[in-house]
Amino acid sequence: MSAFVLAVPAKGRLQENTERFFARAGLELVKPRGVRDYRGAIARLDGVEVAFLSASEITQQLAAGAVHFGITGEDLVREMIPSADTRVALIDGLGFGHANVVVAVPEAWIDVRNMADLDDVATSFRLRHDRRLRVATKYINLTRGFFSGHGIVDYRIVESAGATEGAPAAGTAELIVDITTTGTTLAANGLKVIEDGVMLRSQANLVASRAASWGKGELATAAVILDRIEAQARARRYKEVRTRFSGCNDTLLGLAKTKFGIATPFGGPTSSGMLTLHCPPDSVHGLAMFLREHGAESVIVADIEYVFTRDNPLYAKLEAAVRVSL
Amino acid sequence: MTSAPPDIYSQADLLVASYERAGYARVAPAILQPAEPFLDLAGEDMRRHMYLLADSAGHELCLRPDLTIPVARDYLAAAAARPAGLCYLGAVFRDRGPGSGEFLQAGIESFGRADTAAADAEVLSLGLEATAHYGITDPSVLSGDVSLFAALIAALGLAPAWKRRLLKDFNRKATLADDLQRLALTPVNGRPEHQGVLAALADANPKAAHALVTDLLSIAGISAVGGRTIGEIADRFVEQAELGASNALPGETRALIERFLAVAGTPDDAVAALRALADDAAISLDPALDLFESRTGFLAASGVDVTRIRFETRFGRGVDYYTGFVFELHDRQGRADGQLVAGGRYDALLTRLGSARPVPAVGLAVWIERLAALGGASGNASGGRP
Repeated sequence: MSAFVLAVPAKGRLQENTERFFARAGLELVKPRGVRDYRGAIARLDGVEVAFLSASEITQQLAAGAVHFGITGEDLVREMIPSADTRVALIDGLGFGHANVVVAVPEAWIDVRNMADLDDVATSFRLRHDRRLRVATKYINLTRGFFSGHGIVDYRIVESAGATEGAPAAGTAELIVDITTTGTTLAANGLKVIEDGVMLRSQANLVASRAASWGKGELATAAVILDRIEAQARARRYKEVRTRFSGCNDTLLGLAKTKFGIATPFGGPTSSGMLTLHCPPDSVHGLAMFLREHGAESVIVADIEYVFTRDNPLYAKLEAAVRVSL
Repeated sequence: MTSAPPDIYSQADLLVASYERAGYARVAPAILQPAEPFLDLAGEDMRRHMYLLADSAGHELCLRPDLTIPVARDYLAAAAARPAGLCYLGAVFRDRGPGSGEFLQAGIESFGRADTAAADAEVLSLGLEATAHYGITDPSVLSGDVSLFAALIAALGLAPAWKRRLLKDFNRKATLADDLQRLALTPVNGRPEHQGVLAALADANPKAAHALVTDLLSIAGISAVGGRTIGEIADRFVEQAELGASNALPGETRALIERFLAVAGTPDDAVAALRALADDAAISLDPALDLFESRTGFLAASGVDVTRIRFETRFGRGVDYYTGFVFELHDRQGRADGQLVAGGRYDALLTRLGSARPVPAVGLAVWIERLAALGGASGNASGGRP
């Protein structure tokens, strides 16, 4: 049987966050042959080979079908893989590696607020200077798609490998398309993001390759991994709230659902009046007030480790994606 | 020279030999070209169809995706001030997904002729000779004239922002209709921000307004960044102020543009319809229409049955360096994957390639494999597989 391959980032913050993410789901990435090895495994889970690669290699391998799952940024997926959705499926956003791909112009361009302005400026620039507005970026495909969606044609892309935000000041481009997390680097370089110029809100994703071989064995392995990830993700979305009081009924539960977004994993109260609720962390105190107002003596709130349910939306997504391509 | 089979090549060679006999000098530009002029002239959409590579110094090169730009560059490099008719046969390279990205093209370029109408007509008749060379004596002929739309927009006295936008979108038919819709309904740049400044500027005279904005920018310590000058930014800012808040395209203007874009038929029918339109709107399109009629006259004189030409005002070739007459020849039965011959006038091309003075230019390109695939050799092809 060929191994199930999971590709994860080999370096830096992305690697740390990825390892933490899997560890939280009870999937510990290990390197049995030493830390310098670029091949690893998942502790206590057979049949999985972990490949430590750079984010762009992971993206390429996903497109080629050489790995089954990979952790990489949506920005790279959209930039590097032509018609990405036919080759890979984004299974889940992981909540780290956030970055927006934005169109930024010099702050001095007080006449440019949105993409329609930029379109007009691009055309007048060409008429006035007999050359096209230059856009420095490493996101060539994303830029081309986004600009063409806004009808902008009078521009040129200047490929930029690094320090893109310096290009307008250096005179090598008029504006840029780049990733930004806080916008401080842009501001320090005298650039502003155009109002409707956010091309993509990207984060690290668990990505499945549709081109990889998906036999029964691989699907079974994927199901185990996704079951644990989903159980953990669900656990993090809720706190467990337990209480017991006689005045509890369906009307009250319905009200609590709409007010606090609670779930009732075991239905209504037991015959002895015990009630178990799952409540989003932000609403916990509000719910505790509410329950006591309606007669509860005490309300106990605890962290949840895992919530395993019969359905798994992540696996359903994977199945739908690979079934079409099978 | 090319991977085209020898018989295909030799038959095309005969076609180009006939262009040489008609007075066009044969040229053979380099296959490897700097990428810059293509990207600059044809735009970023061209990039995904280009085979790009870099030399060891990092210069961006490409396999030529067409021959018009290479021929024009060589013409300028030779410092030829004289009018010149040039012809070529060679491979062009375009990435169009699966299948070979190499195509054989023949073509002619006519540089520097001042007799616009005659030169336009000559190029179209040479295009018809190309299809006839392959046995297709009655292709469908679709033609347009970009300069007519430009003349209409100029005659309408629109705000500069609208002129720019409509002219830009003329080549992209999908967005032109949207544009007309949007311009008629909503202000181009209607928005709450800066309304105070914009309203104040709207009443000032343009010069004073321009000076004020320029001063404000320099007070703020802003100097030119990213290739646009302070004056340029101020110009456009003031232009927005002048447009004001109620800058929707008047309904009758929109209706006129739409009526214009609906004109189609034989060249004679079209010109009559356009003259009527100009009369109704009390505008003059005379220079452009006179040129149009003169071109039709030259075509008829050279033996072309002009009633077989379909003219559409909305027809452009999607490449914005065309400035006048444009045409495409298609197989009537639709057997070919695209046009067999295409060409037109691009008077701005040589200036944009660096010519100090404007050089009128018109030319065509012949898609050899498409014609050869239709199979009908006219009988004058020699050669064959060895």
